[in-house]
Amino acid sequence: MLASLVAVILMFQQFWSFEHASQLKIRQGNKIIGTYDLNQTRELHIKGPIGESIIVINQGKVRFKQSPCHNQYCVHQGWLSRAGQVAICLPNQVSLQLMGAKYTYDSLNY
Amino acid sequence: MRLFLIFLLGFLLAACTKPEPLYDTQSYVFGTLVDISIYGETQERAQEVSNQIIGDFQELHNRLHAWRPSELKTLNDEFSRDNTPVTIAPDIAAMLSDATKLSIQSKGAFNPAIGGLIEAWGFHQDEFHPLKVDEVKIKNLVQANPQMSDIVIENGKVTSNNPAVQLDLGGYAKGYALDIALASLRKQGVKNALVNIGGNIIALGQHGEKPWRVGIQHPRKPNAIATLDLESGWAIGTSGDYQRYFELNGKRYCHIIDPTTGYPVQGVQAVTVLISPQSNAGTLSDVASKPIFIAKPESRAEAAKVMHVEYYLVIESDSKILMSAAMAKRLTWLDTVAAKHATSAQP
Repeated sequence: MLASLVAVILMFQQFWSFEHASQLKIRQGNKIIGTYDLNQTRELHIKGPIGESIIVINQGKVRFKQSPCHNQYCVHQGWLSRAGQVAICLPNQVSLQLMGAKYTYDSLNY
Repeated sequence: MRLFLIFLLGFLLAACTKPEPLYDTQSYVFGTLVDISIYGETQERAQEVSNQIIGDFQELHNRLHAWRPSELKTLNDEFSRDNTPVTIAPDIAAMLSDATKLSIQSKGAFNPAIGGLIEAWGFHQDEFHPLKVDEVKIKNLVQANPQMSDIVIENGKVTSNNPAVQLDLGGYAKGYALDIALASLRKQGVKNALVNIGGNIIALGQHGEKPWRVGIQHPRKPNAIATLDLESGWAIGTSGDYQRYFELNGKRYCHIIDPTTGYPVQGVQAVTVLISPQSNAGTLSDVASKPIFIAKPESRAEAAKVMHVEYYLVIESDSKILMSAAMAKRLTWLDTVAAKHATSAQP
């Protein structure tokens, strides 16, 4: 009984900590390009100051697929799927922000 | 289950009809992302205030730019040429005096006079490339020993006693800008706001009924490692090896240079400091993480003490996490794996 209770609490914590995102907000510069449902398969081409960033949404996850930037940090971030996750391409000024039904945090310290 | 979903849907619809009075805007200044959230003001008012703050940031950035024509660049050019006294604006004079004081307090670990070293490592570019550094040049730059205390400010004019001094306020300006923003928000009567400049964050008021909550980024994964509530007037800042770096032959070279060796610091991934409300909380959130980042692992607690930092979190290269007991009390862990590696140190 106690063991199962502990397991449930652990699962709950895991679920809370890593809640799957349902929506994606894409911004370029100071503009919101749009808010997208994560549960779809879609490719988005976003124009920024140094070229075109290609973003792929694939059934619950999203990533920078291609970027015109030199260091490719944004592409190396890989897939994002949890609420609160953020990926930014500073040179092309494109940001991805994942949101869930539940509130995670207001801003990210990095 | 269906009932639950319907209930959830109803809840979401209710939430849609009554939008939260939260305004959030992003822009790009200081070579990084600036995010301003304002709670409890009309959209128009929040937008007006945000635009003004972003304008102030842009102006400050232009004036302090380390490698494009700016008031700071003029100083650097003169230091390395004839050392003709240069007239500077009172606010920049105050910044330099304050940075000098903090540099002395940190025993030189925070040293904004080593712009020459940062340039030699190729970090004075928007997009930097892996480079094999000129070892002789680095050695000479370290031996030249540029210090903030070499700068002389007299009657609003600046000279340097050391031609090797090259100012780079990259570890100061963003934090200083947070303090400027907080003062400006208060002056304009805004009660609740959260300002984030490239990960350095300051809070004013709160988000509705709850304090502002911030996530601390994992240095190697694309998610937050923990969260904490940032109460009004508190600031948080991180020095990391994952924001500006390059890799050469499998080794990571980050933009934080140890002034005593002239080489990028190795062995640590991130240092986060949390600063209690004070007139320069933003500045300290930027500056105070550097001496802890540069210190040897066994000296981190001492470096924190020297900078009067009570709350700090260190993620070493082997993923071991060290934090002050005070910091441990403030964090809510999201990454359960990371939490297992965490140990508390005495502040």
